[in-house]
Amino acid sequence: MEWFRNLPEMDLMRSEKMTSVQLIIPVESAHRAVSYLGELGLLQFRDLNDDKSPFQRTFVNQVKRCAEMSRKLRFLKDQIHKAGLLASDLPALKPDVDLEALEVQLVEHEHELTEMNANSEKLQQTYNELLEFKMVLQKAGGFLVSGKSYETAEGTELDENVYPSDYPDSVSLLEQATQSGPSNTSGLRFISGIIAKSKVLLFERMLFRATRGNLLFNQAPADDLIMDHISSEMVEKTIFVVFFSGEQAKTKILKICEAFGANCYPVPEDLTKQAQITQEVMLRLSELETTLDVGIRHRNVALHSIGVHLTTWINMVKRENAVFDTLNMLNFDVTKKCLVGEGWCPIFAKPQIQEALQRATFDSSSQVGIIFHTMDPVESPPTYFRTNTFTNAYQEIVDAYGVAKYQEANPAVYTVITFPFLFAVMFGDWGHGICLLLGALVLIARERKLSSQKLGSFMEMLFGGRYALLLMSLFSIYCGLIYNEFFSVPYHIFGKSAYKCRDASCGDAYTVGLIKYRDAYPFGVDPSWRGSRSELPFLNSLKMKMSILFGVAQMNLGIMLSYFNSIFFNNSLDIRYQFVPQMIFLNSLFGYLSLLIIIKWCTGSQADLYHVMIYMFLSPFDDLGENELFWGQRPLQILLLLSALVAVPWMLFPKPFILRKLHAERFQGRTYGVLRSSEIDLDSEPGSARHHEEEFNFSEVFVHQMIHSIEFVLGSVSNTASYLRLWALSLAHSELSTVFYEKVLLLAWGYENILIRIVGLVVFAFATAFILLMMETLSAFLHALRLHWVEFQNKFYGGDGYKFKPFSFAALADDED
Amino acid sequence: MGFVITTLSFVAIGIIACLCARVCCNKGPSANLFHLTLVITATICCWMMWAIVYLAQMNPLIVPILSEEE
Repeated sequence: MEWFRNLPEMDLMRSEKMTSVQLIIPVESAHRAVSYLGELGLLQFRDLNDDKSPFQRTFVNQVKRCAEMSRKLRFLKDQIHKAGLLASDLPALKPDVDLEALEVQLVEHEHELTEMNANSEKLQQTYNELLEFKMVLQKAGGFLVSGKSYETAEGTELDENVYPSDYPDSVSLLEQATQSGPSNTSGLRFISGIIAKSKVLLFERMLFRATRGNLLFNQAPADDLIMDHISSEMVEKTIFVVFFSGEQAKTKILKICEAFGANCYPVPEDLTKQAQITQEVMLRLSELETTLDVGIRHRNVALHSIGVHLTTWINMVKRENAVFDTLNMLNFDVTKKCLVGEGWCPIFAKPQIQEALQRATFDSSSQVGIIFHTMDPVESPPTYFRTNTFTNAYQEIVDAYGVAKYQEANPAVYTVITFPFLFAVMFGDWGHGICLLLGALVLIARERKLSSQKLGSFMEMLFGGRYALLLMSLFSIYCGLIYNEFFSVPYHIFGKSAYKCRDASCGDAYTVGLIKYRDAYPFGVDPSWRGSRSELPFLNSLKMKMSILFGVAQMNLGIMLSYFNSIFFNNSLDIRYQFVPQMIFLNSLFGYLSLLIIIKWCTGSQADLYHVMIYMFLSPFDDLGENELFWGQRPLQILLLLSALVAVPWMLFPKPFILRKLHAERFQGRTYGVLRSSEIDLDSEPGSARHHEEEFNFSEVFVHQMIHSIEFVLGSVSNTASYLRLWALSLAHSELSTVFYEKVLLLAWGYENILIRIVGLVVFAFATAFILLMMETLSAFLHALRLHWVEFQNKFYGGDGYKFKPFSFAALADDED
Repeated sequence: MGFVITTLSFVAIGIIACLCARVCCNKGPSANLFHLTLVITATICCWMMWAIVYLAQMNPLIVPILSEEE
């Protein structure tokens, strides 16, 4: 045991030692100091102004300004995106402007851009209207020619609407259409316009009802799509001409046009006038086009010049925002000349922090240095594990269930190996393992390129777990070699099979079976088993027993870790009244079962282990008969049963009583201490005394211990059974694999037709890729995870700590993206 | 006999792997201990897997009975 204590501490086993620190910063160097600490990223600030609302904090104005600036930056980014310019992927350079200058610049840019946008809006609208007018002229001209034939018998000429040759830039020509035109009501008149295609039917019906059928409606689809400026989409429009008579009908029609959003454009009757107006319109259209183009180019140039700096500016504003948020967590001291802050930092980081603070003092030319010293902790420290890219994925897996309490044993140390291994036990096929290995190697080879890109959430997870995937694939290849499955096909890689026919004719091979004539197949499952009728009984028995053995081993590892925890925290009570009875209970029942399994395999006995285990409880004193595996089995079983029965009250009763006695002893001499104020602490641990309740709630402690013991006792049965999922999933994988191989590939290959063979190959490939490689991987991943989180970790893991989140600019960039 | 020999070869491979890990990534005593733990855990897992399958086939209670298909 002494040797255990003298081992050097293992990386990643327990949290880094953390210390609570206090900073006293003079105001002039505060901003710089916090920036440098942000670059270093090793100090977690505690929020001293928790109870204040965001508006009561000191630096609220600066935070508001930063928020405003980031809004402007977002607007600029949006504009660049909408204009279709690619955001420049240049790395963020050191900013060459400071915050105030940036603010002014941003105001200018935003103003400029909004103006440009408004102008181009207006121009675009005018352009659209002219375009519509042009189309109306083209199509309506055709109607009017035929419309002339609807002249009345009296030969009254159609009234011409008067059109000014100069075309005003107003929103619509409704006023024009209503104003112009003689007031006499006789004769056929018309209104021409353009309307969205989707509304045409309704429009026509409405008009028909309104004029009681006294109208003629002609329509023709427009040749081009028009940009609808409300929805910014290209819509199909239809040109229409409505022939009607009467003033009332006209007002009604115009109102309906307005309601449906149809734009009316006056078309002259006269062909020459039509041609004239068409020409004018075309001229103006081309003018507007050039104007619009120039406008867009001008805007793009402006946006491009902004876009070059945009990432830098965004980062700068983010950083400043974070710095002010952090400054808001500090308190002013009595003299109002210093800011006081508290936080956590790892002990190894203290020199670096000290150096950064000195640099800040020097750079801000402050007279007073920054005071940085440790102070007594008021609460439990955060947990900090220094992981590298390899161990990071596993630490995150463990943290997803619960972050380790400060300095308790970290299951990630063993999870690095056991998690991929249990995955492989459920996945075991070396063909599939090779596919996974290729995938993992691709991800690792393109590591540098992929880590700088932004990936979708699924790819992000896959990329983050690339080293876990690598180990999973390597172990899968190993387990596949042991199960002897290559896409469910066994091979004789490690020598000849141990089985052969009883005689030369192999007659009884189909009834009685083969015979074992050599030593067992040296590595893995004998290839003769595949395809035989007794394959499943044999493999099921093998895999079930294997699952029990792995389960008992992992659970024992868990209990051993709880022992190491107790030693570390000097908790001898836990060792004597929790670790020892737990070990005895688990091993006298399930450790004994594992022993029986191994003995049965070694001796080849026909004993029925179910029978042995059940009757060990039901009738322990009976004679074992044919179920006797070794001499002395009955007394051993009685002894183990008694130990298990003794272990249960051993883990249930003593601990609460002893805790009560210890508590009474500690506070016995301090009965007077209760009357004094709690500030005067005679004990050496002020932190714990602050937490310590003066009364010891015995019933609560007892119930807690009872729950813990019952959980362990019942859990030992259920957890052991839970490990049988290793058998279940490996059986499912093997069967799926067999089905796809035999019923898809072999079936298709049996035909002579090349097309069927190719189809079969393709179906086999897709089925393997999607069902076996993706679905089964996820499934085995999930179950291996559950086995770790529940069955392994509930033997020793507390998991109620909180993670160390230092103030760091690097973490900012990851966070917000 | 095959069991013992193969177990010893697993032990040998484990020791070689530990030495390789020590040679390749020697990063201080705490990191070395961590790498050692990883290698030992992996060796034990792999050995257990092989040993279980081997022991199960040493004295089998049933034999393969070929199916009628072929």
